[in-house]
Amino acid sequence: MKYSILFIFCLTLSLSSCADKDDPNYQYFPDMYESLAYETYQEADIFQNEQEAMLPVEGSISRGWMPYDYEDNLEGYDLAKAELKNPLVYSEENLKKGEELYNIYCATCHGKKGDGQGWLVQQEKILGVPSYDDQGRAITEGSVYHVMYYGINTMGSYASQMSEKELWQVDHYVMKLKAELEGKPERAFETEADNEKENEIETEAEEKEVATTE
Amino acid sequence: MMSHYEAPIRKPLVTGDKSYHDVTVDIARPIEGRANKLWWIVFSIALFAFLWGLGCIIYTISTGIGVWGLNNTIEWAWDITNFVWWVGIGHAGTLISAVLLLFRQRWRMAVNRSAEAMTIFAVVQAGLFPIIHMGRPWLAYWVLPIPNQFGSLWVNFNSPLLWDVFAISTYLSVSLVFWYTGLLPDFAMIRDRAKLPFQKKIYGILSFGWSGRMKDWQRFEEVSLVLAGLATPLVLSVHTIVSFDFATSVVPGWHSTIFPPYFVAGAIFSGFAMVQTLLIIMRKVSNLENYITIDHIELMNKVIIVTGGIVGTAYITEYFIAWYSGSAYEDYTYLSFGAATGPYWWAFWALIICNMIVPLSLWWKKMRRNIMWTFIVSIVINIGMWFERFDIIVLCLSKGRTPSTWAMFSPTFVDVGIFIGTIGFFFVLFLLYSRSFPVIAQAEVKSILKLSGDRYKAMRKAQGDDVQLYELPKQQPLPNFEKLIEEQESQEEVTEESGNLAEKLILNIGKASKDVADDLKRLSGIGPALEEKLNQVGVYTYNQISNMTEKEFGILDELIQKFPKSKTKFWAGEANLLNKK
Repeated sequence: MKYSILFIFCLTLSLSSCADKDDPNYQYFPDMYESLAYETYQEADIFQNEQEAMLPVEGSISRGWMPYDYEDNLEGYDLAKAELKNPLVYSEENLKKGEELYNIYCATCHGKKGDGQGWLVQQEKILGVPSYDDQGRAITEGSVYHVMYYGINTMGSYASQMSEKELWQVDHYVMKLKAELEGKPERAFETEADNEKENEIETEAEEKEVATTE
Repeated sequence: MMSHYEAPIRKPLVTGDKSYHDVTVDIARPIEGRANKLWWIVFSIALFAFLWGLGCIIYTISTGIGVWGLNNTIEWAWDITNFVWWVGIGHAGTLISAVLLLFRQRWRMAVNRSAEAMTIFAVVQAGLFPIIHMGRPWLAYWVLPIPNQFGSLWVNFNSPLLWDVFAISTYLSVSLVFWYTGLLPDFAMIRDRAKLPFQKKIYGILSFGWSGRMKDWQRFEEVSLVLAGLATPLVLSVHTIVSFDFATSVVPGWHSTIFPPYFVAGAIFSGFAMVQTLLIIMRKVSNLENYITIDHIELMNKVIIVTGGIVGTAYITEYFIAWYSGSAYEDYTYLSFGAATGPYWWAFWALIICNMIVPLSLWWKKMRRNIMWTFIVSIVINIGMWFERFDIIVLCLSKGRTPSTWAMFSPTFVDVGIFIGTIGFFFVLFLLYSRSFPVIAQAEVKSILKLSGDRYKAMRKAQGDDVQLYELPKQQPLPNFEKLIEEQESQEEVTEESGNLAEKLILNIGKASKDVADDLKRLSGIGPALEEKLNQVGVYTYNQISNMTEKEFGILDELIQKFPKSKTKFWAGEANLLNKK
């Protein structure tokens, strides 16, 4: 009796050691563990490149999104720099969101103050990040958006990381940093009504509002 | 002097002039002998049915419940019908052993062992259905409240299906313990009689070293009584809980407060019917007519009449309430006008005829004491009780509150196959039991032998209640051989009783005198002393010995001291050979 208990104990112990840390563990009747439907990033033979995530047809426009009209070249850059305006109101809310996003996506190179002294620059991983108050560049709302959308030189596009609204929010924050660097007075916050006429781009949330009021 | 009064109106419970030893021999015979051809044939059929059912179960579990005839309206049919049917059958065993013990019914002693075996084997069958009717039976352990890694996800204790789990498992374990406790003295008896070392070993293990001391018996009796006291509420509650599966629902025809007592009565009704079916065969096949007498059968028939009456009353009540409630939905319940004329009219009438009409015949004493008729009625009742459960489940589900969900049920071969499989499994177990277990509780029968054995009743009748029913052990002489021989001579004067026995023996095996005496010493185990003893009784020739059967050897055993019982099985054959020479 004593030995049989010991035996069972040892058996349990040795069986439980069968789990391999480098492999997924054993499963007991995995009835609904694996998806029958296609999961977003899964591999499957039937797709091109065996990848579930396929590209949409070029030229198609999905609801709540509008294509960016300026082209990805110097001409487009100049045009955007000259005429493109931020459609979002300059509110505390937008600015705060922009700060959050800026600290996530931008600050590691551009620095929290926008002075081109991000962590990667300080570590000398990369070089040549300009400060926002660089006179030669003289960035504007339009040019910032354009650069974030397409990227420029060694900087890549952030259009896949952030939505259009988020890009514009970051844009506000970048302009605020620029003003701070240049020692200019802070821009006064606006309300929705102030900016209504200029507001061209409808955000998703706003569009929903419209849809429900209709 | 002991004296005992028993009302003369009581009929003997053990017939056929049995002594304690006869009881032992009769009960041990099926175990010690070999199975005959008939047993093997029946066993093979049962085994085949069981394997077929097993195949159906495996097919169901591996393919899905869809192989059954269930549909979205009738989601319970044969599975739960069979479950309730088997549970019901299982109830008679505990009733016989527990309730009748509390009521001090002595006649239970001849039937309780087999009835309990039937209980256990029936509950095993019943226990299959809650598992196999699950869609995912491999997760059946989730019904148990075990601490687990899902934040200790628990079961809901509000469901009667969970109560079923507790009820059935408790019922099975208590019945098993109760049954096994009763088996200890009987296993010990088999152990002590076993000749082959293997058998001795097996029964030695099974009997847990029972030595039959007074203290053991005292505790044995108390345990039996306590377990009987516990088992009785258990019997009533288990089938009550099974009835809650239906009664607590909102389905018209199920939602009924009469179900708990009515189901229990039905369980006893069908259980006793099954006991009758089995014991009527068993008493014949195992030669137990002297223990399971016609009076036992009649008494069980009376229980069937009573419980059948209760069930019949419940039917009438249900029928009445279906009308009296004024609820339109009650018109389609299993016992209603709608059921009697609806698409399942045949099931309705099968129920009425099998359970209400046919058992009424048992009110006549002649029918009640007719073994053949009892056998037929018992089978009819079991069919009827199956239909009762089928009607309750399927009829009530088939016509629910929304006419757009009305449907019919037809079983597939898998439904039928599993049911047949459980019947096969039941008989596999029961047939194995009948050949390896003492099918009658010999210890208990021996306790009533002198009260209710017809031999002793006759003695009391002839000689008054004060008659001495026992023999004091004779003084064993010291191993002084001269004295031994002297005593042997003096023993020639046999007592009156043994004289009667000797006469009976000679009557059975034929008379012979010293003139034609054969040399009995040539038989194995017979020496000069035993030869002389046999001669004293009147046994002289091979011919006489070859005529002897078990019974005659039993008489010799009583007449002659130090009779070598173990050798006798060779004697008849040896004597036969010598006789022919």
